[in-house]
Amino acid sequence: MWSGILVGLAVYALFGLVPAVANTVVSFTNYALYPGAPVNFTGFSNYTAMFTSERSGFLQALVATVVFVTAVTVAQNVIALAVAHRLVADSRWNSLLRVLVFLPIVLGVTIVGLVWILIFEPGQGPAASLWGLFGAQSAFFGSAGLAMPLVILVQVWQNVGFSALVFIGGLTAISPEIYQAASIDGVTRWRRLSRITFPLLAPAITVNVLLAVVGSFTTYNLIYVLTAGQNGTMTLGMLSFTAAFTDSNLGYGAAIGTVLFLMTLIVALPLMMLLRRREARLLT
Amino acid sequence: MTATSIRPDSRPASRQTRRKTAGLRRERFWARLATGLLIAVVFLGPVLYVVMISFESPAHFLRSPMNPPTSAHLSNFSQAWTGADLARELVNTVIYSVVGSALSTALALLIAFPLARRLVRGHRPLYTLLVVGLFLPLAYIPLFIEARDLHLYNDLAGYILLHVEPGMPLGVVLLYAFILAVPTELDEAAWLDGTGYLAYLLRVIVPLTRPALLISFLYGMLQVWNDIIGPVVLLAGTSPNLFPVTRGIFNFYGQNESAYTVFAAAVVIASLPLVILFAATQRQLVRASIAGSVKN
Repeated sequence: MWSGILVGLAVYALFGLVPAVANTVVSFTNYALYPGAPVNFTGFSNYTAMFTSERSGFLQALVATVVFVTAVTVAQNVIALAVAHRLVADSRWNSLLRVLVFLPIVLGVTIVGLVWILIFEPGQGPAASLWGLFGAQSAFFGSAGLAMPLVILVQVWQNVGFSALVFIGGLTAISPEIYQAASIDGVTRWRRLSRITFPLLAPAITVNVLLAVVGSFTTYNLIYVLTAGQNGTMTLGMLSFTAAFTDSNLGYGAAIGTVLFLMTLIVALPLMMLLRRREARLLT
Repeated sequence: MTATSIRPDSRPASRQTRRKTAGLRRERFWARLATGLLIAVVFLGPVLYVVMISFESPAHFLRSPMNPPTSAHLSNFSQAWTGADLARELVNTVIYSVVGSALSTALALLIAFPLARRLVRGHRPLYTLLVVGLFLPLAYIPLFIEARDLHLYNDLAGYILLHVEPGMPLGVVLLYAFILAVPTELDEAAWLDGTGYLAYLLRVIVPLTRPALLISFLYGMLQVWNDIIGPVVLLAGTSPNLFPVTRGIFNFYGQNESAYTVFAAAVVIASLPLVILFAATQRQLVRASIAGSVKN
């Protein structure tokens, strides 16, 4: 029995806990990608370097991250709510549609990214033909103006099914008797939505908003596939990866990762308290 | 029922109001049909486009990509199969994801059972420690340094070992909840029979917690299967024979940027196993995702 626990905990500690903590330690060093280079503690130099001109990408990435997180969180939740509202009723067609909406999650970021690269292929892709109807042309993921909105679009497309499922779960939990009582009292559809559905959905909204915020702050795998951070899509997560594994500066990459982690906490924790308080207010 | 029937407005509807509600119902039917179709087109359309062009000849694609091909151009698939080395990459992916996730689920069970049964001192803080794992960011930079220093970098067994941990916290949380529902009388009966610890786990606990084991396994497997950063960070570019299919087709795209029909065929082949698995297990997966969201 003990050996089972110890093996399990050892794996968990070694590959889960230690790296999570060690990231901060690495951020105070000049660790390089290639082995053999001397490793020294360099204090806060990786952190001050973010604001010096030699590494100018940090502030741009900060802005890009804020844009990405805000747009993804809002769009993903609004669309997921609409989809959930449409698919909540149990019917054969709806269960098929639920499976379709969930498909991008199963396909994974690589397949999803490559599918959208084909859709937005600037020469022959269907998006290019559509643009052509209006006499327009675009490099899409290769265009400085359009790359970020498109990355946001694909990120939302990939994850909206998950949020929709959580909302469907929340909607099904609302007792049908409340709706019956409302319809007897002659409550209009809009008031039913704003006074019953929306308040009772508060726990699902909390979960979905937090998942979208934390998820969009930290993920960069889709950006890696779609643009590799080119054309204004360099978010902090992507910048951390690029600094470490393209520019071979593990220490600087880890410092950006630490800043990103702290930012996520600073945004997510008060947001969580705010949403929980809203839940308590709406549900009493 | 009785409450509504005494209300004055619930007498049999006049012909006029009936026609009105029929009209409203028809309107709602068309609205539902339209929104349903919209959802189907938005989520299936891009995928179907890729499937379509994977059957187009390159000449057809250059001329009119949006017209469905009149005859299936199957050589895209054979070219993709050999050109992207898909057979080897799919085998690699299956090994990584099945072995990695099976180990992850097995270790989760070996931890969850004694914790749920309070067989070890400090079971409560230990459980909390594992729940924390659900929120830990995947720190690729220290993980890379560990992999390099422990000789797990660019190594088949090492790559699997590095992919065991991510699925463990969810597995422990799910199994813990399921094991709590298994009556302790069963433990005692086995204890009296002299059944060994592992034999008991295998013969009694595993069958009784099968849904949780399946969800944990599927969820972990999907994570390993779809990982793209891991293969980039933990495998060297010089040994493509270790590549899983994600990095394989991503590289294939980089090398053949203009051979779109062949590339589309590679994407179709690479996603086919997942689509089949999804079709077979969609109910469990959808449930797993909801369970995964609840934990947060």
